[in-house]
Amino acid sequence: MRMDRRQFLKAGAAGAALAGMAGCAATGGSAAKARVAVVGGGYGGATAAKYIRMLDDGIEVVLIEPNEAFVSCPISNMVLGGFRTMADITTPYSGLARHGVKVVRDSATAIDLDKKQVRLAQGGPVGFDRVIVSPGVDFMWEALPAMAGADAQNAVLHAWKAGPQTAMLRRQLEAMPDGGVYVITVPLAPYRCPPGPYERVCQVAAYFKAAKPRSKILVLDENADVTSKGPLFKKAWSELYAGMIEYRPNSKAIDVDVGARTVKLEFGDQKGDVLNVLPPMRAGAIAAPYITANRRWCEVDWLTFESKAAKGVHVLGDALQIAPAMPKSATMANGHGKVCAAAVVNLLNGESPNPSPTLINTCYSMVSDKLAIHVASVHKYDLNDRTFKAVPGSGGVSAAMNEAEGGYTMNWARNIWADTLG
Amino acid sequence: MKVRAARTLAGLIAASGTSLALAQQPPPPAFAPSNVTQNGVRSMAANCAACHGTKGRPAAGSAVPPLAGRPQGELIAIMGEFKAGKRPATVMHQIAKGFDDAETAAIALYFEQQR
Repeated sequence: MRMDRRQFLKAGAAGAALAGMAGCAATGGSAAKARVAVVGGGYGGATAAKYIRMLDDGIEVVLIEPNEAFVSCPISNMVLGGFRTMADITTPYSGLARHGVKVVRDSATAIDLDKKQVRLAQGGPVGFDRVIVSPGVDFMWEALPAMAGADAQNAVLHAWKAGPQTAMLRRQLEAMPDGGVYVITVPLAPYRCPPGPYERVCQVAAYFKAAKPRSKILVLDENADVTSKGPLFKKAWSELYAGMIEYRPNSKAIDVDVGARTVKLEFGDQKGDVLNVLPPMRAGAIAAPYITANRRWCEVDWLTFESKAAKGVHVLGDALQIAPAMPKSATMANGHGKVCAAAVVNLLNGESPNPSPTLINTCYSMVSDKLAIHVASVHKYDLNDRTFKAVPGSGGVSAAMNEAEGGYTMNWARNIWADTLG
Repeated sequence: MKVRAARTLAGLIAASGTSLALAQQPPPPAFAPSNVTQNGVRSMAANCAACHGTKGRPAAGSAVPPLAGRPQGELIAIMGEFKAGKRPATVMHQIAKGFDDAETAAIALYFEQQR
């Protein structure tokens, strides 16, 4: 997990005040019966923090998050399209205080399971009885050797963690001359947000269509085909942005020539005016001790989200080795947070967790400024395989892109932001 | 003889193809029995909050309808219409099918009680 130097300097005192053993820094004067530390305030972690407090306000919850405010990945592609601003996708963490969640603005550097403490970059350690780790993804820069340095990473952007890079990529697109080529590379699945790259293509195309109609988009996809909502995206590309988008499957990026603005592929090189390279991803660094699958992802007991590698540690969200047909999505992480919160409350009260958890995924993609498509699914716990499986007969995608779902997309966003942070 | 051998071979291939196909069929899921205790229902209903707001109360001005405080019977009827494809829907016809009648009734009662 990276954070910039200014954020380090601001983090200070609040963290120091929370140093010490679990239970010592209770809310409202009375000693809490237990303390849960939550590392990472995204859709998974912030939801878990809020829902633990809603279910049992006798449990102290400390959320450790380096960023000043939450910036949403969902809807961030619309900032690239020019239809939304950074302010539109930013939500403060202050809403969590109403639930009694203590937000410590700092970066977790390690989790000490012997001392039961999260160590912080700036402040003193945060003690815990259980810890929830929701770090999102980190990028596997080793897959693209020339991208190792900060200069390269500031020139060739991923914008796959909403925030400064989102605004930077928008500026690169604005600065690109009409007739230029925007190149996006997509790593082999699984990666954060399966439909995200293809939605981004739509949003950039919508911007080009209005502002730079001679420009082109080249999609270099390591996958054999569009990984989510494929026919719907392809229809949007051909009907809304005819002649603008070239899609090349089975195209694996192996490096970047930053100076020459060229993506190096297994077979041939591809030059562009704006390069947007999505590296392969793995669980965020703080979760590295809990990675058990393919050296990339964390496996958990799906009833509690407790790590298979460490007792008392729960892992949520995009960092997980997914269950069958379960996407790495915001709604899914929000749902993980709730199942985990309920289980943690049960365990800290000496009760059994729910043996029959359910998850729902709903994921919209904006294919223009107004039109959207979705994929939805319902997941239940399978006793034999001890994993979530999609309920047969449920779920599906849109029949066609439509304006009604375009309207619901922003409503979904506002409601999930409020459910996660409000 | 040759013809018969060929037919037998073809039959064997067809048969083995069938059995292979059967073997490759994943077994139907063995889902845990639904949990309609207070904790179980609260957990199930929490999924609805991602779109409909925490405890079924959406953000002000939301086009997604509230669920909190609505009569159980009304919510059961609407979910039935979604399942049957009798009510216009964007996602709910697909999501409603993930819940059986007992689960739907329990979730509907939970939302009726959120006032």
